[in-house]
Amino acid sequence: MIAFTVNGERRELDEASSSMPLLWVLRDQLKLTGTKFGCGMGLCGACTVHLDGVAVRSCQLPAAAVAGHSITTIEGLSPTENHPLQLAWVAEDVPQCGYCQSGQIMSAAALLNTGAAVTDDSIRNAMSGNICRCGTYGRISKAIKRAANAPKEA
Amino acid sequence: MSLIDDTRIELPRRVFLKQAATVASGLAIALYLPGGIAATDPKAMAPANEFEPNAWVRIFPDGTVKLVVHKHDSGTGTQTALAACVAEELDVNPMTVQVITPEDPFFETYIHPVWKVFSTGGSTSVSLEYDRLRMAGATARALLISAAAKQWKVSPDSCTTEEGRVVHTSSKRSLGYGELVGVAANLPAPAHVTLKDPAQFKYIGKLRHKRDAAAKVCGRFKYSIDVQLPDMLVAVIQRAPVVGTKVVSVDSAAALQVPGVRKVLAIPGRPDVLGGNLEGVAVLADTFWAAQQGRKVLEIKWSDSALAGFDSEQLFSAQAKAIGDPQAQTVKAMTQGDVAGQWAGAAKLIEADYTMPYKVQNPLEPICITAQVKDKAITYWGGVQVPSSALEAAQTVCGIDKANVTIHELVSGGSFGAREAKYWLFEVAYLAQKTGVPVKLLNSREDEMHALFNHPATLHRVKGALDAQGKLSALQLHAVSPASPEQWEPGYFERPDKMDYSTTEAITAWDFAYRPPHLELNWVKHESDVPSGWYRSVSFIPNVFAVESFMDELAHAAGADPLAFRLANMQERPRHVAVLKQAAERAGWGQPLPRGTALGIATNQGYTSFIAVVARVATVDGKPKVEKLTCVVDCGLAVSPGGVEEQIYGGLMWGFGHALFDRLDIKQGRVVQSNFHDYRVTRMSDMPATDILVLDGEPSKPGGVGELGSPSVVPAIANALFALTGVRQRSTPLSLG
Repeated sequence: MIAFTVNGERRELDEASSSMPLLWVLRDQLKLTGTKFGCGMGLCGACTVHLDGVAVRSCQLPAAAVAGHSITTIEGLSPTENHPLQLAWVAEDVPQCGYCQSGQIMSAAALLNTGAAVTDDSIRNAMSGNICRCGTYGRISKAIKRAANAPKEA
Repeated sequence: MSLIDDTRIELPRRVFLKQAATVASGLAIALYLPGGIAATDPKAMAPANEFEPNAWVRIFPDGTVKLVVHKHDSGTGTQTALAACVAEELDVNPMTVQVITPEDPFFETYIHPVWKVFSTGGSTSVSLEYDRLRMAGATARALLISAAAKQWKVSPDSCTTEEGRVVHTSSKRSLGYGELVGVAANLPAPAHVTLKDPAQFKYIGKLRHKRDAAAKVCGRFKYSIDVQLPDMLVAVIQRAPVVGTKVVSVDSAAALQVPGVRKVLAIPGRPDVLGGNLEGVAVLADTFWAAQQGRKVLEIKWSDSALAGFDSEQLFSAQAKAIGDPQAQTVKAMTQGDVAGQWAGAAKLIEADYTMPYKVQNPLEPICITAQVKDKAITYWGGVQVPSSALEAAQTVCGIDKANVTIHELVSGGSFGAREAKYWLFEVAYLAQKTGVPVKLLNSREDEMHALFNHPATLHRVKGALDAQGKLSALQLHAVSPASPEQWEPGYFERPDKMDYSTTEAITAWDFAYRPPHLELNWVKHESDVPSGWYRSVSFIPNVFAVESFMDELAHAAGADPLAFRLANMQERPRHVAVLKQAAERAGWGQPLPRGTALGIATNQGYTSFIAVVARVATVDGKPKVEKLTCVVDCGLAVSPGGVEEQIYGGLMWGFGHALFDRLDIKQGRVVQSNFHDYRVTRMSDMPATDILVLDGEPSKPGGVGELGSPSVVPAIANALFALTGVRQRSTPLSLG
């Protein structure tokens, strides 16, 4: 049995799933479909989730590797869907097709989690593993800065 | 559990449409009554609890307003922009009313007015639907006003509307639209309606947000890949690796041993259908992951194919041979004067070849569609950009007629042309027919790269003559390219002029900007047998690359400023001239530049919109780098300015990718690249700074913008690189040293 936490809830998988990438565990077994499939090689970032607060590509992470760890998906980023990044994303009207945006937001959230200064360089470094084909990079950058400058939640 | 609302199936419904016969503003708009059914007996036909005056408006007694958007949204914001056109005239808020897709996507009214198929594309959704969607909203509003006036026994002219309510100002009475449903539904179509004065617009021209952002940032928004139905199987397909190859044998024993794998089915190819699928072998499983594991251990023996020797590197020399070949089909897209007579007397003659490689769309959501065949009917769930192709698949593969095709349309995770292919609809229809259960077909990224629905590789040969004063006297172009999938359209092969408008973009009289005294622009049809597909900006990409690079070469040969040289060769092109001048000014054209910095300019027109792009390049750490793209756009009326700006940004990003990255190789008939590690696309760290200005254009008409942004970027960058390095690059991807 593989036990881990997803969005604060304990989850258990049977050993048969140990080699299945976390992406498909989330999508097909736990029905958390906000995390997306884009390339299956960790190259596009659509499947980005947090492993203990750090951005990881869930398509490259076998279920066995997350045993004992805490996973956060886009669905668990904010219980009220009011994470500063989500609000900023709406304010800047970032999504076009929106398919990459779960992954983009999770990468951005991991950047904010580090507490490092949010600069053009740190944004580019944190976000360049996430491909957007519609062309939202400019607005993503604006939204991250907006969120970083937003008043902290009480 | 079904994630999809299945309660919408109420076919057939739309039998009582009404639309005003004329608009007071004098716009000539055809009636949108379905063939043979007039709105003469509305009582007999209208449902009791609904006011449905036309194909786009539904109002319910509880005040719910539903607007129908009959165009596919692949992230381009069509749902917001089209809903706004109706909502503006109906006087409801387009951001808060419900927007639905048609239950009956094959209702005649929804057919593309030019192509005569049910389809979304060509940057036409807003520009071609603008008038009739406004009229739909205005008609509904006029009927609601009449209903209220009748109830109040006042003149309709004394009533107005205020966001979802009819108001009688002088008596301060008002009624919500929902309260008027019963009366309005039984009124005859108005003889004419008045459209709003654009100066009064509340939403059109002002929208800065799209409708669905909130759901898209929380992971709640449902895409094709998220469709989940009872008893559903997920299919992956190992497709023929080379065009024309056939399955000789399949050993599926190992695949069927993989837990979760249920079936392995060979899918016959459909070479009899233009755009039909290649042969393939499908693995159907409980999940995509299981299906992929099964696929890995499939043993398929493929036959030889005549195309096994095809090599894309050798294509350009074959294309060059087609120029002047009497056997090749050469179509004159535009001629003026006598080009051939000018070469001998020219002061300077210049000739250049430009090439572009195959490119692949790569929407981030891979192709995904679910279908079920049951009781001689087929239902699709997913992003269907071309309902006509879903219908063709149903008819051709399953023998199911139009009345028995249902589409639950979803927004897709990008298309860029990929979702205009037919192969996946044919495949899923076949698998649904064979299995009887819902089948979700999902491509891997590798499948997207190998789909052979590519933007074609092309060669352009351009020749120009300058006179002794450095004036352009003659220009000749041969654009060598296969026909586009426009050939799928009815009547294509019967066209007397043999024109393929999708292959001759930017080189026809209406969108070619330059008018030297002698001009000849040709399309040379050259088929390689590797099929090609739709791709955002289609033939504008290679045609504008060749023309705008060559204009730059001519300017330098003439010792002229590239901007001034362009302007001197334009006649009666005020919008073109305006975007060029403004883009140049914004980018600092003609001003002193820092050392090691250079600018390049290019322009194109299309979809009745205009753009000029200036690229700034600079030497950084000994290598050229694209620092900034400045562009000015005139798209007439920008219905959704925020949406226009992001479409242009996306276009600039695509153009940047074409300039530096996009390249798909085919060797021995097989696609070489397979995923984003060897097919590079633009990432945030690559993207140069952008400066986008959308002009307040002519307010009566919106132009298209989805495909406007990319074509000029490649020549702008190539021209800037020449200005910086003195080296002219004529093949993409361009080298940065």
